[in-house]
Amino acid sequence: MAKAKIGVYWAASCGGCDCSLLEVNEQILDVADAADILLWPCATDVKYADLAAYADGEIDIVLFNGAIRTAENREIAKLIRRKTKLLVAFGSCAHTGGVIGLANLATREEIFTTVYGEERDRWPQLVADEGGRELRLPEFLEKLAPLSAVVAVDYVVPGCPPPREVVGQIFSALVAGNLPPAGTVFASSKNLCDECPRDRKQEKIARILRPHEEEPDPDRCLLDQGFICMGPATRGGCNAVCPAANMPCTGCAGPTANISDQGAAMLNTLASLVGTGEEGEDQLDAEDAILAQLDDVVGTFYRFGSAMSLFRGRYHERNRTSR
Amino acid sequence: MSDPTGPFEPRIVAFLCRWCSYAGADLAGVSRLQYPPNVVPMRVNCSGRVDAEMVLGALEKGADGVLIGGCHPGDCHYVSGNYKTRRRVALIQRALSEIGIDPQRVHLEWISASEGNKFQQTMIQYVERIRDLGPCPVVEATPAEAAPDG
Repeated sequence: MAKAKIGVYWAASCGGCDCSLLEVNEQILDVADAADILLWPCATDVKYADLAAYADGEIDIVLFNGAIRTAENREIAKLIRRKTKLLVAFGSCAHTGGVIGLANLATREEIFTTVYGEERDRWPQLVADEGGRELRLPEFLEKLAPLSAVVAVDYVVPGCPPPREVVGQIFSALVAGNLPPAGTVFASSKNLCDECPRDRKQEKIARILRPHEEEPDPDRCLLDQGFICMGPATRGGCNAVCPAANMPCTGCAGPTANISDQGAAMLNTLASLVGTGEEGEDQLDAEDAILAQLDDVVGTFYRFGSAMSLFRGRYHERNRTSR
Repeated sequence: MSDPTGPFEPRIVAFLCRWCSYAGADLAGVSRLQYPPNVVPMRVNCSGRVDAEMVLGALEKGADGVLIGGCHPGDCHYVSGNYKTRRRVALIQRALSEIGIDPQRVHLEWISASEGNKFQQTMIQYVERIRDLGPCPVVEATPAEAAPDG
């Protein structure tokens, strides 16, 4: 059998996904035996010109991590799509936009002002003159987007970063040459609670807690204790590693297959759970007081999913009198 | 309903509980109480059935305002559905504020089956409030601001 041709690419990412590939330890050597690595900026010296020179569809599979933040990310995503038979959205940022998708809650101007200051001539210039030489930077797009907003995606590997078991599964399938049908999501079809070892009684939440405020009981459901755990709205497949380590789930694996908007689903869940025990007209003020303990609604419910949510970002009311 | 090039006509989706608010809308109808045609009523079994995905989805698909009509506290046919909706709407409104959308674009009102008049007045006032706010920015921003190729 001919060796498989594989690639790995990072767009707007932190590098953690590339590290997660090496978490499989010696198994990476099997991959190196069974496959030729045609693209992996983090580990090999392949230039964009090399990538462009490959025939269309020459690469068998590319694991693409990171979101689409710049024009370069977008351009290379489209180029990779042409050059590979299978494209994998690898990790939260490629899948849902990830934590960095929260940048969509600010405008590009606000981001630049925060990072580079008020003076616009200190902001990155798309074209700059450096001693007579023209230097070009890729445009920082107005909105960050997940990979699937730019090109068609064949597989999704959720997680921030994807769990090593799942990475191992992909490598095994790749080495054995039996990859699953396109459209496969490498994770559980059920939610995180389904694999969480904690004891859930669906108790009313009378006090909302953040992880630094109190040490959670390691055996009881975190939501039962008042910690906002995204488990009910989040896809399983990680064996609930965070709840097992006494940390609430933050939702990195994205929504389950049955829900379209992870944050909205979690908002529904929390609204149903909040209460003093009895529901009634005399409890309304007490319920409002509990809800007021929740800081940062969007940042909590959409920590990884704002770029893929129903609203996708932030808006400005313009009070216009026509459409 | 409206000429897209003409003056702004609000598009309102009203989720109405079948036991109270939808019956209130029926009463307004048989009583010949006039209210603006900008409201599209959707009958739901309970206001507690209206989840955040439906509300955000309506705004994303072009509604300028979402009105949820439920039974008065203590009157819910399913005992406590309206309380759940009330908490949900409170969180949705906070989320909308955080993303720059006026929280008034989602409104909860208790309207009983006998309150045809209140139904009429609520619709008149809500359409005017949304008319003052102008078009919801979600849809108009989608092609230019949210699309990565923009």
